[in-house]
Amino acid sequence: MSTTDNRPFAIRTYSPAQLKQALKRMYLVRRFEEGAEQSYMRGLIHGTMHLSIGQEASAVASCIELTDADKITSNHRGHGHCIAKGADVARMFAEFFGKETGYCHGRGGSMHIADVQTGNLGANGIVGGGLPIAVGAALSAKRLGRKDVTLCFFGDGANNEGAFHEALNMAAIWTLPVVFICENNKYGMSTSVERSTAVRRISERAAAYSMPGVTVDGNDFSAVAEAVHHAIARARAGEGPSLVENLTYRWRGHSKSDRNRYRTKEEIEAWMARDPIARFQAELIAHGVLDEAEAIAIAEAAVSDVEQGIEFARGSAAPAIGEVTRYVYAEA
Amino acid sequence: MPVEVILPKVDMDMTHGTLATWHVKPGDMVQKGAALFDIETDKAAMEVEAPATGRLQHVLAEPGTKVPVGSVIAWLYAEGETVDTLPPVPAPGDVPAEAAVPDAPALGGTEQAPYAVPPQGMAGHASPMPGGSLLRATPAARHAARTAGLDLSDVAGSGPRGRIQKQDVDDLLARERDVAPPRPVSGWVADSGPLAVTRRPGRDAPLVLIHGFAADSTGWLPLEKALLPGRALIRIDLPGHGRSPKRKIRDFAHLARMVLEAFDEATRGLDGVHLLGHSLGGAVAAAIADIRSSRVLSLTAMAPAGLGPDINGEMLAGIARATRVESLSPWLRQLAGNAELIGDDYAKAAMRGRADPGLRSCQMEMAEVLFPDGVQAFDLRPAFARLSMPASIVWGRRDQVTPFRHALSIEADFALHFLHGIGHIPHFECPERVARIVERQFAAVEAPG
Amino acid sequence: MDVTAQETSTRTLSYSEAIREAMALAMEADPTVILMGEDIGVYGGAFQVTLDLVDRFGPDRVMDTPISELGGAGVAVGAALTGLKPIFEFQFSDFATLAMEQIVNQAAKLRYMLGGEASVPVVFRMPAGSGTGAAAQHSQSLEAWFGHVPGLKVIQPSTPEDAKGMLLAALADPDPVLVFEHKLLYKMKGEVPAGYYTTPIGKAAVRRAGSDLTIVAASIMVHRALEAAEQLAGEGVSAEVIDLRSIRPIDHETIVASVRKTGRLLIVYEGVKSYGIGAEISAMVAESDAFDFLDAPILRLGGAEAPIPYNPDLERAAVPQVDTILAAARRLARREV
Repeated sequence: MSTTDNRPFAIRTYSPAQLKQALKRMYLVRRFEEGAEQSYMRGLIHGTMHLSIGQEASAVASCIELTDADKITSNHRGHGHCIAKGADVARMFAEFFGKETGYCHGRGGSMHIADVQTGNLGANGIVGGGLPIAVGAALSAKRLGRKDVTLCFFGDGANNEGAFHEALNMAAIWTLPVVFICENNKYGMSTSVERSTAVRRISERAAAYSMPGVTVDGNDFSAVAEAVHHAIARARAGEGPSLVENLTYRWRGHSKSDRNRYRTKEEIEAWMARDPIARFQAELIAHGVLDEAEAIAIAEAAVSDVEQGIEFARGSAAPAIGEVTRYVYAEA
Repeated sequence: MPVEVILPKVDMDMTHGTLATWHVKPGDMVQKGAALFDIETDKAAMEVEAPATGRLQHVLAEPGTKVPVGSVIAWLYAEGETVDTLPPVPAPGDVPAEAAVPDAPALGGTEQAPYAVPPQGMAGHASPMPGGSLLRATPAARHAARTAGLDLSDVAGSGPRGRIQKQDVDDLLARERDVAPPRPVSGWVADSGPLAVTRRPGRDAPLVLIHGFAADSTGWLPLEKALLPGRALIRIDLPGHGRSPKRKIRDFAHLARMVLEAFDEATRGLDGVHLLGHSLGGAVAAAIADIRSSRVLSLTAMAPAGLGPDINGEMLAGIARATRVESLSPWLRQLAGNAELIGDDYAKAAMRGRADPGLRSCQMEMAEVLFPDGVQAFDLRPAFARLSMPASIVWGRRDQVTPFRHALSIEADFALHFLHGIGHIPHFECPERVARIVERQFAAVEAPG
Repeated sequence: MDVTAQETSTRTLSYSEAIREAMALAMEADPTVILMGEDIGVYGGAFQVTLDLVDRFGPDRVMDTPISELGGAGVAVGAALTGLKPIFEFQFSDFATLAMEQIVNQAAKLRYMLGGEASVPVVFRMPAGSGTGAAAQHSQSLEAWFGHVPGLKVIQPSTPEDAKGMLLAALADPDPVLVFEHKLLYKMKGEVPAGYYTTPIGKAAVRRAGSDLTIVAASIMVHRALEAAEQLAGEGVSAEVIDLRSIRPIDHETIVASVRKTGRLLIVYEGVKSYGIGAEISAMVAESDAFDFLDAPILRLGGAEAPIPYNPDLERAAVPQVDTILAAARRLARREV
């Protein structure tokens, strides 16, 4: 690759296959969440859900370099992280539908989807809950001499939790291979970052823990991929943690109970005009990674995966009622 | 309020008792459950326990005095309670209908005749069990009492606030075992057979006794005592009654076959027996006499079932389902021609025999089969008509369970004894009169030549 | 007792020496075992339990954490989730209130939320209890709080032998275990088998057999109950003393069998009396087959309905002592309640 290559970072760094898979995953995230929303409206899903539609670039670009040995911890808005880490949407739907075939055998639901085998340590219902756990996972890697890194996803709301500060501090003092990825979607439920957070940029908080902090356009696939790439490289090199802040936006409300009284229609529409999927797809086409027809095929494949996933979930068996206490403890 | 000490009815046919000894001197403290005095009946001497902890005052009966059952004979005052100069006024209803024995001495520093004070409208009186039927007992004591078929109200509690503890139940059971074996009185032996059979050896042809619905063999006691001594007796408990197995029956014929089986077993090797049955047992006896006519020397049927459709179904059901003395007692009172014969002690004793819920439910089912909707579902008139041995019917004219007129429906020659002023249980109400009738029949059969 | 000892020899060790021996054995045998906590390194731990382990195993395995109970506990949970077996020492169990989120929401629930696909083999060591003059925020007995949480195991060893055997059992357990160690027990000495052995979690121990009443006691109260039982024996009262040892899971069978036998139950524990271990055991017995054999009300002796006070006499009065156990047992045995 020549030094004068001024194509976007992602285009010049990752193979066409990786990039196409990334686009597919972004489509999958969106179609999965739309499918979940539809299923919810038809009464097929009984709990609430937190949708990340509009934030797909942040999740998928952050995970593009990860292997199954690498770990992620996720938050309540975690479907994108799951899919980005390679989860099967059929088993995700099955979990959503509370079926035995789901990732958590129907015990976790939307907010706890995990796949420990592929390094996804799980979504988390407690804001900030995953931060110390990610540090612990990074401690394991370091102590056991493994080269894997841990990506820790959380939202802007979590940066005001004590756990955030304790976790970043410990990751720094012990020089642990963890990347803290703050997906700043402007609101902690209804409270804006401006009203809740003393610093202008959440990445500024990295300075307090003596680690690099960077803020990027979270809807720009390549910008996210580049920032996280450098953070991962630093982690793998044994130089310690980093904080990456992805500025993004959720198109939907906080959860299904959100009446959207804290943001304007104009603001939502302006962010919808910055659709990360359309931007990434246009970039791939512009740089000849794929053509229109291929893009359509990828989008259609995602639709088909989601439809099949829903079918699989609907057709799966529910957990046996008598097994309500199964999995509380290890089985003897 | 001081607690009354009464002369309790300890035997079913007891109307009076003689105070034998006081174990506590007037003015002394006594602990609840401790021996207070002895009474003598014509059967035995018996120790009576203090109904409460307190100081004995106003003793109204000296040793040797004969006192009507239920009479107040003294009071127990709690520690610190003011002792009145006069004995407290008995509460309404506590004075027995029968007047006190006139020469009962008045002790305790009063010249007032013990029962002369007319009852005033009192707002309530000290109950020996504070809180009425709310009885304090530990789960272990309740369990032990339930298992032994014991009514907890008969147990004196030694725990705080009179709570009955397991040891109290165990103690009482041990005393009962030691002192008064309730059923097999001396001379009785139990058979092993399909039903509970007890026999008292004796001379002459034995008399086989079959009790009625919801009763058991112990009910024959007054009659047994009224009979001339020496006759061999055989008592059969109906299935689901007394100590017989709780067997389900399909219909009357099934019941009769079960009892017949026990009868055959019990009378094996005997030349012939007399048969006496009461109520349902009377019908069963008639059925047996019909089938085993060559072995039944005579039949006496008291207020037998099976001679007409009418029966007091409500009463049978009421007795069968009663779980406590309070609900059993009103029904029992209807059994006798004179309700006053049925005292609290009779009801208590009866309830004690019915403490087993399994027995009660068995009897309820039996009532449902034999007397559906309060109608006798079986007809023994043809059987009665076929009888060839000397047979008589004994019936109280005041019977409220089965009307004595049923006796008139038998289409055969029969001796009918209608007892004036008597209800459904002549053997309890007037055992002597019944004994005379039965013995005349024995004599007729057994007279040489 | 289900002790599987490699060697049968025993030595006299203190409770804290027994814990330390267990940790050292585990660390020698398994490189994934690490210790975490505040001042557990060169300082040796607030109660000198880790003492010199940092010299033997180095600061990478005997890790001083910042004063960050929530973060520290969470790091231990995350590490346990990904291949390490951390023993996290809270300096005082009171400080676990700062880490409730990680213990209750994360450690206890991860296996279940993830449908059995995850395991959190973490051990939290919890120095607990009063009697040291440390007052309200350093003297609590919060074990019952955690006993209420499915997914956790909660134990209270009362002897040096159990302290070692149960800690080793906790380390071998694939689920999170909280070990409540009464601070007054640390110096207590007792016979401890050498070598590796485990004492099962969830099994109570009958420390003294008796027939008149059952005393179920936890942690340090076991020793007070045994002392009371000895005096009662002199008065002709035969008390059975059961060492609860494990709060979750709790040993229903041993307790119910004993109450069936004695008909009388006294429960002694240091945590605040209401809503505690005593309530659970009472209810469990009332619901059990032992109900029919109860011959007296069940009595509970627990901590006062107050924070632990500073004044030594008040502090002593705030939790059951030998004399209060004796008095309650006498009332039960003599049918005064």
